[in-house]
Amino acid sequence: MDFDFSVIADHARFLASGVGVTLTLAALSGLGSLVLGFIVALLRLYGPRWLKAIVVLYIDSMRAIPVLVVLVWTFFALPIVTGLTMPPFIAALIGLTVHLAAYAAEIVRAGIESIRPGQTRAARALGLSPAQIVRRIVLPQALVRMLPAFGSLLSITIKDTAIASVIAVGELMRQSETVAGQSFQPIEVYSFAMLLYFLMLFPVTRGVDRLYRRVAHLGRS
Amino acid sequence: MTFDWSVVWQHRDVLAAGTGTTILLTVATMAIAVPCGIVVAVLRLYGPAPIRTVATAYVELFRNLPLILVVYWAFYVLPILTGLGLPPLATGLAALSLNVTAYNAETFRAGINSIRRGQVDAAMALGMSRGQALRRVVLPQALRRILPVLASTWVSLFKDTSLVSVIAVAELAYVSMQIRSQTFRVLEMLTAMATIYWLLGYPQAKFVDWMQCRFKVTE
Repeated sequence: MDFDFSVIADHARFLASGVGVTLTLAALSGLGSLVLGFIVALLRLYGPRWLKAIVVLYIDSMRAIPVLVVLVWTFFALPIVTGLTMPPFIAALIGLTVHLAAYAAEIVRAGIESIRPGQTRAARALGLSPAQIVRRIVLPQALVRMLPAFGSLLSITIKDTAIASVIAVGELMRQSETVAGQSFQPIEVYSFAMLLYFLMLFPVTRGVDRLYRRVAHLGRS
Repeated sequence: MTFDWSVVWQHRDVLAAGTGTTILLTVATMAIAVPCGIVVAVLRLYGPAPIRTVATAYVELFRNLPLILVVYWAFYVLPILTGLGLPPLATGLAALSLNVTAYNAETFRAGINSIRRGQVDAAMALGMSRGQALRRVVLPQALRRILPVLASTWVSLFKDTSLVSVIAVAELAYVSMQIRSQTFRVLEMLTAMATIYWLLGYPQAKFVDWMQCRFKVTE
């Protein structure tokens, strides 16, 4: 067995562009799922009853279907339904956002529900409106408690972007496959990709572990 | 736009076989990853220093890699490492097990750590050995606490089995996409695939919710 890692140097730019796409996709879908997750969770908790049922169905469905299936469906089947074709990156962004928003919504809901109802009652007794209660009493405390879980979701987001390679998004996984296929050196290329993913993900998970310890006492009430 | 849903019914045997493989992969991976996870967690907590480092490195590595990359890596590297030409199913099983074992080890470690130290001290004061205290006092309580976490790992694993389709393991996602490319009934086959996953996964997700209520830690 000889290994020749010069293949990495030869395709450094190509692989670096993959890292760029991975990070962009992770940042955009992370942000998108955060926003959508908040909306969905608030609808679930405070929305009209008929809407709640739909929202719960959406969340539980996303928990039941693999990301791969969501991405493949968004890229190949959605254009048939809507009549609009879209580039792989956009399809991946939509698929990941819709999938991860369900998880974000569960985090938001758990955070809000963890604030004891006595606080809401006390605020109401003091004459605050429902919107004021959510904005000024519940959310500030709940946000602190949600932080570590959002950190975990960020690392899941980065890992899930690799699945976008299946619909030909030119992110790190896809670029690695291409280089591995052309150079016939899959071991060197995939091992190097492992290193790159680890370098991207390890700081995030470490940061999350730290955050859990740092923030735990702030969320107490 | 005309849809022809009969294509799904025509391929029912293949889809059923694919679904069977998906379930088989989930069960087999969990059957490997639970005992291995316990071993790794115990080594990480009580093993000698060098082994502890190796166990920690293993857990941290696999928690921080996308599973799809591990699947590709296993597909190309395992045959060279072991010198065996493994069939795709075995390679997929190995990749899934490596991944889930790391997560389970972390779950078990957290579970064991959550049992207060005083209990081990008390057990040892009663004359039990360290191993006995672990086996008879700590693990039974820890197991009860981590059941909901294991259940949610189970659901993630069930969904993640779809990723071994990239190395041509004939599970549900792979066979659906094969039928899609043979018949060109894209929307029908992909929707059928999503529906089958949904039908199987939805009750499991609900079961996890129930477990989380049932085994809630109250102290």
